[in-house]
Amino acid sequence: MKVSVNWIRQLVDFELLPVDELVAKIGAQLGELESVEDLGEKYQGIIVAKVAECEKHPNADKLSLCKIDDGGRAQNVERDENGLVQVVCGAPNVRKDLLVAWLPPGSTVPSSLGSDPFVLEARDLRGKTSNGMLASAKELAISDNHEGILEIDKDAKPGDDFAELYKLNDYVIDIENKMFTHRPDCFGALGVAREIAGILGRKFKSPDWYLLDQVDIPPTAEQTLPLEVENEIPKLVPRFMATPMANVEIKPSPVWLQVALAKLGQKPINNVVDLTNFYMLLTSQPTHAYDYDKLRGHKLAARLAKKGEKVKLLNGKTYELTEDDIVITDGEGPVGLAGIMGGSDSEVDENTKNIVVECANFDMYCVRRSSMRHGVFTDALTRFNKGQSPLQNRVVLAKLVEDLGELSGAKVAGHTADEHGELSSPEPITISADFINDRLGLKLNPEEISKLLENVEFDAHPEDGDNICALAPFWRMDIEEPEDIVEEVGRLYGYDKLPLELPTRTIKPASKNKLLENKAKIRSELAKAGANEVLTYSFVHGELLDKVGQDKNNAFQLSNALSPDLQYYRLSLLPSLLEKVHSNIKAGYDEFALFEIGKAHVVDEPDPFESDIPKEVNALSFVYAAKKSGRGAAYYVARKYLANLLHNFQAASLAKLEPLAGTDLYKNPWLEQMTASFEPGRSAVLHDISKGADTSGLIWGVVGEFKTSVRRALKLPESCAGFELDPLLFMRAGRASDYIELPKYPKVEQDMSLKVASDVSYQNLAELLEASLEKIKPEHTLATLEPLSIYQKQQSDKFKQIAFRLNIASYEKTMVASEVNKLLDELALAVNKKFGASRV
Amino acid sequence: MSYQNKRVVEVAELLKKRLGGLNDKADILKAVELKALFDELKTLPAEQKANFGKEINQLRAELQRMVDAASEQAEALPPIDVTAPMDVNSSQPELLPSENGSIHPLMGEKEIILDIFYRMGFTASESRELDDEWHMFTSLNFPEGHPARDEYDTFITTDGLIAPAHTSTMQSRVLQKYKSNLENGEPIACVIPDRVFRNEDLDARHEHTFYQIEGVYVGEGVHAGMLIATLKAFLQEYFGKDLEVRTQPFYFPFTEPSFEFALSCPFCDKKGCNICSHTGWIELLGCGMIHPNVLKMAGIDPEKYTGFAWGCGLDRLVMMKYGIEDVRQFHSANLSFLRHFA
Repeated sequence: MKVSVNWIRQLVDFELLPVDELVAKIGAQLGELESVEDLGEKYQGIIVAKVAECEKHPNADKLSLCKIDDGGRAQNVERDENGLVQVVCGAPNVRKDLLVAWLPPGSTVPSSLGSDPFVLEARDLRGKTSNGMLASAKELAISDNHEGILEIDKDAKPGDDFAELYKLNDYVIDIENKMFTHRPDCFGALGVAREIAGILGRKFKSPDWYLLDQVDIPPTAEQTLPLEVENEIPKLVPRFMATPMANVEIKPSPVWLQVALAKLGQKPINNVVDLTNFYMLLTSQPTHAYDYDKLRGHKLAARLAKKGEKVKLLNGKTYELTEDDIVITDGEGPVGLAGIMGGSDSEVDENTKNIVVECANFDMYCVRRSSMRHGVFTDALTRFNKGQSPLQNRVVLAKLVEDLGELSGAKVAGHTADEHGELSSPEPITISADFINDRLGLKLNPEEISKLLENVEFDAHPEDGDNICALAPFWRMDIEEPEDIVEEVGRLYGYDKLPLELPTRTIKPASKNKLLENKAKIRSELAKAGANEVLTYSFVHGELLDKVGQDKNNAFQLSNALSPDLQYYRLSLLPSLLEKVHSNIKAGYDEFALFEIGKAHVVDEPDPFESDIPKEVNALSFVYAAKKSGRGAAYYVARKYLANLLHNFQAASLAKLEPLAGTDLYKNPWLEQMTASFEPGRSAVLHDISKGADTSGLIWGVVGEFKTSVRRALKLPESCAGFELDPLLFMRAGRASDYIELPKYPKVEQDMSLKVASDVSYQNLAELLEASLEKIKPEHTLATLEPLSIYQKQQSDKFKQIAFRLNIASYEKTMVASEVNKLLDELALAVNKKFGASRV
Repeated sequence: MSYQNKRVVEVAELLKKRLGGLNDKADILKAVELKALFDELKTLPAEQKANFGKEINQLRAELQRMVDAASEQAEALPPIDVTAPMDVNSSQPELLPSENGSIHPLMGEKEIILDIFYRMGFTASESRELDDEWHMFTSLNFPEGHPARDEYDTFITTDGLIAPAHTSTMQSRVLQKYKSNLENGEPIACVIPDRVFRNEDLDARHEHTFYQIEGVYVGEGVHAGMLIATLKAFLQEYFGKDLEVRTQPFYFPFTEPSFEFALSCPFCDKKGCNICSHTGWIELLGCGMIHPNVLKMAGIDPEKYTGFAWGCGLDRLVMMKYGIEDVRQFHSANLSFLRHFA
């Protein structure tokens, strides 16, 4: 939102701060500044001059040789005996006695600034010296007009400063639009000026014409231009006003108007269009002028477009409309996309004789959607999509019509239509000073509060007790609740002046979030174990789900993702990790482990507490990969990580690994999808055993290697394994250690190797050994068994050998070898009976 | 799979039988009988073409699946004893060296920040990755038709669920969960650090997946000066130095008044540097006094209790702190990046 400081200065009735202080104040209290442009610098040294003599250039047909009078202002320039300066000019409109803008040698062409600054000098043009140049509007960066030089149309004398004459010694401040999202009134100079007065603690008064309560647009005796106006959708078009005007003379605007628009980045077009833009820049109310004679059936209406209807807009493009677009139509079809851009078929041009001026109001969300749908963004839309007040349409239209009369000679030629639904005015809000002070931490009294509000033209006054009654002005659409008054008072008072005060509290400890704490511990344990935490997207490409054998029908699908990489919510985290293995191997990492903590989603599983929304499964996923396999199958590395984690959480006794092959997944969709990529013969599930040794129904996760198809599709190395589990498992763990008092007497170690059929699982053997040991060990001893090695000569061998080490120590005495040997014999006997194992 | 066309049924039966005896199962796809079916297709009248074509394509796909399954089985590694702690004929598996390990910088920073808020008396909650419109918009006082509800910058699922674009989606839940604090004369004080999403194209400065830390504080007599003081206290602790803070009026539907909050650049102490684009200030977060409608919808009396909330981006904080140049590094899972953050 660009504003001219000079314009603000005209609108306030007090001396404005110096620009740097003003800019600082705006930055602190109004909003972030995008830029501050010093126009004075741009127009420095341009002098008003009078063409004293003008003759054809002796050596060129299209050039004129001029002598200009600059009142002797320019320094260091060659003059003739009369003090006149010679300039060669190619413009067709240069003539004697014309007042022009002269760029003397040494000055810079304003339009060249910013790209390739062009500094003028005295130079020879076809044998005659030209001292600088007489500038066109285009060279002055005012408009695109380059057909001739700019003709000064104001009272001025030679030697006057051009910038001063047209108020170009100005600053243009660009305030970020987002600061004013809810302040439609601040998209015009009037609103910004009022706001600046407010934050400076000064009273603002809008121009009289803006405040007129029930202004009437001068009626006309003769209805020379009949116009039918219809508003079919008052809900979406709260107000639709239009006035026909006859006998308009279309011509370029006066220079002051062109300059006013150009400063703020608007391109001057013609007097009628320029004036509508001027009032938009002033009041933030966009208006539009139609060529009356081009409106078929002399009708103007607002309605929703019909499907497939087309409209050609002023930008020359044709748009196919939808039933959600508001259009303005004439008697036959659309002549504009409401609130966004007018149509080219009803454009005001140099041949226009009669016009219709429209001043309307449109639903902010509706026009925003239309603009997004069609990709058309205009200054009018920027204002309409903030929600302009429909209460200002009449005053703006009245003033515009009046000025159009002066500027173009147009006369009101018919009844002014005013089609609207119910127009609601702001309601007075009664609010106590305490209410405001409590929320801002201030101690303002009702008088001070009223004054702050009155400065920006609220009707505010103290009432009984410490109350204030505040009525927002008609252009404010954002004041509905007492809190809105709090905001107003706080902003105008200055948030930078609020007293900073920390809330006080008791020494009661704040509770930490257990789940977050657990996740943090997982993170630190796995990092300690040499693994690297990664974050990958919650969304995956459908192809990844296919590659790992998951079923896309179980995944939530995004309807509007910009990229196919983000088609689906992931069903488990592991595929995302597997996808990152190959790139890291390629980058030269031969052995590594990745993990991620995140969430997985499966359709048709409602959240246990909020049944309307899906359950979010907490997931910890881990993958180990090595370019060369070293210490046996990768499964055992992943398993080691899992066991280590369970141990560090004191959770080893809560769950047990069982082969995935043949495990009942209870048709649980999450489990089915999560385990889909695992090779059943080389994977295990983590069964809950917290409610007893028998595996209960609960499965916490899975650990294992991956199917050949998965390994191939994701270019995984042969040595690759991982796990995925629900970290809520760790929340179940007690924090108590499994520590038992250590015996004071020395420990005895004895190894034992057992030969057993190769299909006997390690776990079955080990569990029996441990159970037997617990039964038969001498009283008051502490005994443990640890695995040493597993040996099997050939994959096809019928037998394998498993070596264990027995550690035993007594609390009462030093144990002797014979006692230990006896124990081992008994253990061997127990496993011989059950599994036919023999000691070797 | 059952086929209607007699010819297809015949060929299917024949080829499936033959498949068992083949050494290279893939050869079945080159069978002359299958090719013959495709040749027949060309000779058929147009009205039969569609059905016949569909069936032979289905047959070919079925055979392909059988070939794939067979090759999967053939190349699958042999089963192992998954209950054992180590492989046969192998040494015990070992963990990787501790010095290789790393915590993701975003998560590490989240824990540092969380720790500060815990010490300041806040508890914490997680957010959601999939939520409904009520929590994302309605409970936060977004009017019907508000542009944020449009799908232009928010991911939406085909079922109309939403990938939250801000952690504020948890505000109402947190307010309701801790409402009883207020009755006990204690404030609601909670931070919500989590992942959020915005439908944006990726580049060095834009990510569709990023992280926020939401804060909610409600009690009796809570005012805007406390909001600014609380954030300032947090930032000074986080950066370990005295800072200046600045607020600018802003607009959010769920706070009134709303602010954009900036701090004096802690990296150059306002002298101007690349991190603060030589302005001396860093715009960090949006915040404000919780809108009475938000409190009301959570069952809290806005006449009696007031509060503030903020939402702070984590990614930018981490990028500034560690000089990370490209936001895409965060989700790259690139070890060369990650191992800098042990």
